[in-house]
Amino acid sequence: MKLPSFIRTLILLLVAGLAVVGCRKAFLAQKPSSDLLVPNSLNVLQELLDNTQVMNISPALGEVSADNYFLLYTTWAALDTKESNAYIWAPDLYDGQGLVSDWDIPYQQVFYANTVLQGLAGIQPDSTDQAEWNMLEGWALFSRAFAFYNITQLFAEPYDSATTATDPGIPIRLTADINEKTTRATMQASYAQILSDLSMAEGLLPAAIPVNNLNRPSKLAVQALFARIYLSVGDYTDAGKYADTVLAADPALMDYNSPEISGVLPFLKNMPEIIYQSNFPQPGNGNILEGLIYPGCRVDSNLIASYDSNDLRRSAYYFQEGKTIDSFTIKGSYSGTIFPFSGLATDELYLIRAECYARAGNTGNAINDLNSLLMHRWKTGTFTGYPINNAPEALDTILVERRKELAFRGLRWSDLRRLNREGRDITLTRNLNGQTYSLLFPSDSSLYTLPIPPDVIQFSHIQQNPR
Amino acid sequence: MGLLKPAIPFLLICLTLSRYGICQTPTRITLTEVDAPFSKVMDDLEEKTGVTYLGMTSLTQLGHPVSFSVKDATLKEVLDLCFKGQPFTYKLVDGAITILPLEAAANRTGIRGRVCDVNNGPLSRVTVQVKGDPATAVATDDNGEFRINTHDEEPILIFTSVNYETQEIREKRGKEMFVQLKERVNELSDVVVLNTGFQQVHRRTVTGSFDDINNELLNRRVGPNVLDRLDGVSSGVLFNTNIVSGTNPSTITIRGRSTIFSNPNPLVVVDNFPYSGDINNINPDDVENITILKDASSASIWGALSGNGVIVITTKKGKLNQKPRLIFNTSQTVGGKPDLYYLPILSSSDYINVEEYLFGKGYYTSNYFGPLHLAVTPVVNLLYQDSLGQIAPTQAQAEINALRTQDYRPGLGKYFYRPSLNSQFSLNLSGGSDHSLYFLSAGYDRDLSTLTRNEYDRVTINGNNTYFLLNDRLELNTDLAFTGSTTVNDNQGITGVTYPYAQVADAHGNPLAAAYGLNEPYIDSAGGGLLLDWHYRPLQELRNADNPTRLTDYRINFTARYTLWKDLDIRAYYQYGRGSSDNPNYMSQQTYYTRNLTNEFTQIIDGVASYVVPLGGILVENTASYTANNVRLQVNYADTLGRKGLLNVIGGAEVRDIEGENSSMQLFGYDPTQEIGVPVDYANFYPQYSNGSLAKIPYNDTKLSTSERYLSYYASGVYTYLARYMLSGTVRRDESNLFGVHENQKGVPLGALGLSWHLSKEPFYERSGTAKWLPFLKLRITDGYNGNVDRSVSAYTTANVNPVTNNFGSIDASIINPPNADLRWEKIHVLNFGVDFSTHNDRFGGTVEYYVKTGLDLIGESPVDPTIGVQSFTGNTANIRDHGVDLTFHASHTFGAFRWNSILLFTYVRDKITKYDQMQAAVDDYLTTGTINPLVGHPLYSVYALRWEGLDHVTGDPKGYLNGTGQMPGQVTENYNAILSSPDLSNLIYKGSLSPSYFGGWRNSVFWRQWGLSCNIVYKLGYVFRRPSIFYTYLFNGTSPGHPDYDRRWQNAGDEVHTNVPSQPIPNGSSNLPRDNFYEFSEVLVENGDLVRLQDVQLTYDVSRVEYPKLPLQQLRVYLYANNLGILWKANHAGIDPDFVGTPPTPRSLALGLKASF
Repeated sequence: MKLPSFIRTLILLLVAGLAVVGCRKAFLAQKPSSDLLVPNSLNVLQELLDNTQVMNISPALGEVSADNYFLLYTTWAALDTKESNAYIWAPDLYDGQGLVSDWDIPYQQVFYANTVLQGLAGIQPDSTDQAEWNMLEGWALFSRAFAFYNITQLFAEPYDSATTATDPGIPIRLTADINEKTTRATMQASYAQILSDLSMAEGLLPAAIPVNNLNRPSKLAVQALFARIYLSVGDYTDAGKYADTVLAADPALMDYNSPEISGVLPFLKNMPEIIYQSNFPQPGNGNILEGLIYPGCRVDSNLIASYDSNDLRRSAYYFQEGKTIDSFTIKGSYSGTIFPFSGLATDELYLIRAECYARAGNTGNAINDLNSLLMHRWKTGTFTGYPINNAPEALDTILVERRKELAFRGLRWSDLRRLNREGRDITLTRNLNGQTYSLLFPSDSSLYTLPIPPDVIQFSHIQQNPR
Repeated sequence: MGLLKPAIPFLLICLTLSRYGICQTPTRITLTEVDAPFSKVMDDLEEKTGVTYLGMTSLTQLGHPVSFSVKDATLKEVLDLCFKGQPFTYKLVDGAITILPLEAAANRTGIRGRVCDVNNGPLSRVTVQVKGDPATAVATDDNGEFRINTHDEEPILIFTSVNYETQEIREKRGKEMFVQLKERVNELSDVVVLNTGFQQVHRRTVTGSFDDINNELLNRRVGPNVLDRLDGVSSGVLFNTNIVSGTNPSTITIRGRSTIFSNPNPLVVVDNFPYSGDINNINPDDVENITILKDASSASIWGALSGNGVIVITTKKGKLNQKPRLIFNTSQTVGGKPDLYYLPILSSSDYINVEEYLFGKGYYTSNYFGPLHLAVTPVVNLLYQDSLGQIAPTQAQAEINALRTQDYRPGLGKYFYRPSLNSQFSLNLSGGSDHSLYFLSAGYDRDLSTLTRNEYDRVTINGNNTYFLLNDRLELNTDLAFTGSTTVNDNQGITGVTYPYAQVADAHGNPLAAAYGLNEPYIDSAGGGLLLDWHYRPLQELRNADNPTRLTDYRINFTARYTLWKDLDIRAYYQYGRGSSDNPNYMSQQTYYTRNLTNEFTQIIDGVASYVVPLGGILVENTASYTANNVRLQVNYADTLGRKGLLNVIGGAEVRDIEGENSSMQLFGYDPTQEIGVPVDYANFYPQYSNGSLAKIPYNDTKLSTSERYLSYYASGVYTYLARYMLSGTVRRDESNLFGVHENQKGVPLGALGLSWHLSKEPFYERSGTAKWLPFLKLRITDGYNGNVDRSVSAYTTANVNPVTNNFGSIDASIINPPNADLRWEKIHVLNFGVDFSTHNDRFGGTVEYYVKTGLDLIGESPVDPTIGVQSFTGNTANIRDHGVDLTFHASHTFGAFRWNSILLFTYVRDKITKYDQMQAAVDDYLTTGTINPLVGHPLYSVYALRWEGLDHVTGDPKGYLNGTGQMPGQVTENYNAILSSPDLSNLIYKGSLSPSYFGGWRNSVFWRQWGLSCNIVYKLGYVFRRPSIFYTYLFNGTSPGHPDYDRRWQNAGDEVHTNVPSQPIPNGSSNLPRDNFYEFSEVLVENGDLVRLQDVQLTYDVSRVEYPKLPLQQLRVYLYANNLGILWKANHAGIDPDFVGTPPTPRSLALGLKASF
């Protein structure tokens, strides 16, 4: 009897239900929390790249393995396994333990960069934000290239132009898809990717250095990185060319005679010399490089001895704990913190250009660059210039000054790889508790390429480096 | 007389059910009976129609055989045929057949009377019989009245009812009597109505696992929190103690743990919808009953929210045709001070010896002379003054010796603690007419905590109205609940002062300074008078604190039910909830925090101080609010299906939206009279006065909004066949904004199936001998899936803004989740078996349940190839398996004037991780507390320990093992770092779970005349805990007051025979830490947690106008309640209450209460 009204109501319900389903999508699209960001706006993408704790960190195992310092035995004994093993160039650094920050952090940067690139691809910039869009894309490409390059310096063999097509390079990941399988590209493909990322970035990034945000790259930072990379592969023509480009735009050098250099923290993070800020990781959480900031970490006495008494760098860079020459510890760096600087600065470019001039036989220009730098490093009026007449002599001097100027900047390991391959056969020695460890060239040349972390091998089954 | 005035005594709930639900009467009956015994005919009718008849076998046995044949007859027609010529008649009441003696037979001289409940509500269907003469049995009518015939001059009458306690009363013939029956506690009876939050169901039709906490049981305990009242009264429900923060703990666990990182708490439902506010907002006096849903069948109607069980709270309503009734309830609870001597510490003298020892080793040099000017204790200060020649050695020694006799606990007890006092007042007015019901209540609670100056005030107001319109076809209900509360949290205890001879006040009660922050000589000289006082005085902090939290919360419910067609009705529910809290913490310039911050940022240049943090107070204000909108549309339908079946289904859709807002702001130089602050420079770094390091003014202004949205569809039904076979099914699908739209489209519905078999209603059972002693037996089995939510994961790549800007002052963000396209709800598969039984008259009965819960697709961490850019991945990767047994037994007996009843609860539950991908790097990751590192094959909260080889004979250093294999313990070593950082997990010994495997309670009550006495004993068995002992690193660095185990430490060769306490090491930076850790985590410090506790005792005295006609009120109850009475037995001999390892136990409390009904 009442059936019709019951059916009417059912129809009404059905209609109401359909209406709910209709706006369901909008209802359920609401973000669960305002602090949850989905990387699909320029703002958020920039905030990801601005994460200096991720994006502006360089791996440290190279510096740990290099010869700028030595460790007191007790300090060494207390170190994390991978770091203490790296110090003595043990064939197996990891004792089976994964989570190696020097691999993980650069690839985290690659992941961030890829996330940003993917996010940018989904945003159609209009005329007002085209510049920002370009800047972010250039930034992400630069960061990815920097990360890939840093990985090559630790985990791929030193560059050999003869065999790049067959030498194994590094895993190149170009998407943020976590299901994509990791494979090792060839050396050639690895460098090609780095250089093409940089070329694109060069065209996208603004020319001016962002003086208040030195964690962000500029066109000059790209060119400075080009110079560093070309130098490391022995392409001195291109390295010199890029160093010249940068220095033509920004020849700034800081005079170490200024009063703050003698202070406890001599350098600020935004000094004019700096082009791009990056530093070694903070210790803790299993990060490498605990050793370098411990008091038991001492600067190599030969290195200390090589500084002239009028050379202000010794007191700017180091702190003398005791009376002896082996009691120097690391003091300040261009990062403005106690964590050593590993970014890009003009002093490095002066040295790159000087080296390239010297290698090209242009002794005059080479010495000129070296002198301009050192004039700013010695006490006013004390530096009179090196009396050098030929290119090989100039090159040797420049390489010594390169080590003195750029100590603890993450460059020494790369230099050792490069210089040993051209026959300089530098031998590294450690003394620990009466035991001596040596890294000889060429007999130990395979030890100049670090093993890939075991967890990476376990998951991806990529080819391990022979040690 | 008022007593006999007609009244319709049943609850609205019953009315609803009988009209629209379970007790549905089919319209037409077809039945043929030939010379059938009367009782068989009644059974056939019950089978066919689902109507119950009140099982007075004694009376029906007198019935004559019946013969008839009907087709499409109404129930009444059939009953008339059956009862024709019988020596008794019947009455149809509320869908049930009441069998009544013939008036003609009642002519003999008998006893008349009336049976009521404790609130004087008439009780129908109570069986009354003369003891020893079952043939006399009669039942009370709608008005609770009865008339019984007997030849005895002074017979003993037995009053029995399924729902109420049996009573025996001797009475003279010819008298008119008045009898009150008490409700049975934790009853398993058929008639109990359970609330799932979606519908009311009769216990007899359920297939799943429910527990109901009725009003009487709920009011047994006293206190302002309603959930606390569930502690120890329901099997399977565990109140967790010793909660370790950082491990995603829950206060309440129902049937074990079934998640790892997701929401661990049971769902709390208040009047149809999940409650979004603070549960403290609910006044227990406004609660009618609580239903706990434990298995898949009972809880899966809540879908993705049901994984941890559901607690359904139903608030009070008025009753139909009830005169206005006013009930006033008050209680005063007094609790003791906590036992400050419970946590063992080093004696002052021992502590000073340690300080002298450390001083001799130069341990304090860097604190005292170093650039950070860190605080040193008074003894160290004296030692330095002595060594620097600032005071005479004899004076220093005398002062130190004086400190040896001091103890900080008496002062602490005097100034920081007091006996607690909790006062509770509530008043409610309820009543109803034919067409409306009302319930109004107001409550006031005031709780003075044992911490001085801390208190809690709460006002609750409730108004509930129900109207029946359009000839009862339309039912409208409105409900408004308001809560306002203030929590004052001024007493935060003493932070950072651990030396046992500290004094908080002098003899006159003036606050004294304690060693904290910076050292005395520095404070005295720093700033040359230009800085604010830099001393820390705990008592002054307490007196200057001003930290209240004000909370308001209201809830508006609107419910409409409209009967569309016969037994089809449609219901609409709407609930609006809004709550907000405001916590202004004003730290005046007199507080240490403000003085310290101001001083550190003070810049003194050329004798002039400038203040980067302005002078004045600091106000930190946190506010939070939520708004919840819940809408539900539901269709209920009940009808016969087939000739012998009954179908009851509901279906509907629900939309929920909970929006939250949190914000925090900070004002410096705050002037509370004008409520104004002063702008400060957050951006630049300033040198800190005490150490020169650069720092920014802490910036704490934050704002966060949250949104939780659900769209759900559900259906649930029960099919009852022959009144003894029940098949139930539930299905629900949830969609939520937590996962994003795309994921919802792939959503899998959650649901359950259940079967129950009322075995004792089978004809063969009834014929068997078992039926005599076990007349009620029911078997149940259910199987299905519940779900759980993790709000922290998302299917998208998501990022979080970092709390502080990067080094260059820019806002920056971190990726917290890589994209996870396969993300889905956690699913919990629950298989439940249950048996319910009871003996005749429910003297003894119980429920036995066994269940297996398997948590599938749990959110867990998995390691992935770090080349991806993340080292671990949070996704549906883990599994957990729980299984357990819940037992509930009850027994009751009457000995003369004494009635006794007893309830025993027993729970066994054990969880085990069955899949977890993330392995930690080292052994100590599994030992340290505060993180979750599950290990496959063991419970989530496991206690592991390191093998112990005793103390070294020469040094007193502890010895452990490394590199053991299988049964071989490995080599003995004192390289603690190697042990702790070893990746070889075979070095770990599993000692047991941190939460009990067996627990329950045993509650006994006796009643004698107006008196009632009840006591609850609870027990927890099968778990372990780590006993604290001496930790030298913390003793040395002043973060711990030490432990008296120090006195039992190894001191000389040979001590290792009788002690396990390591020798005192030489202080050496943090190098003793691994040694301390090894001892802390060693097997010798793991204790068995088993305990039996006398939880509480309740004493009640009831008087009513019936016994004392001159009483100015209807009824009065006076009650005493003593809680936390103490441990009866515990397994450990270390003097530790395993429920309180790191804090003093909750002190005993005594409540005196009074409840009056007018």
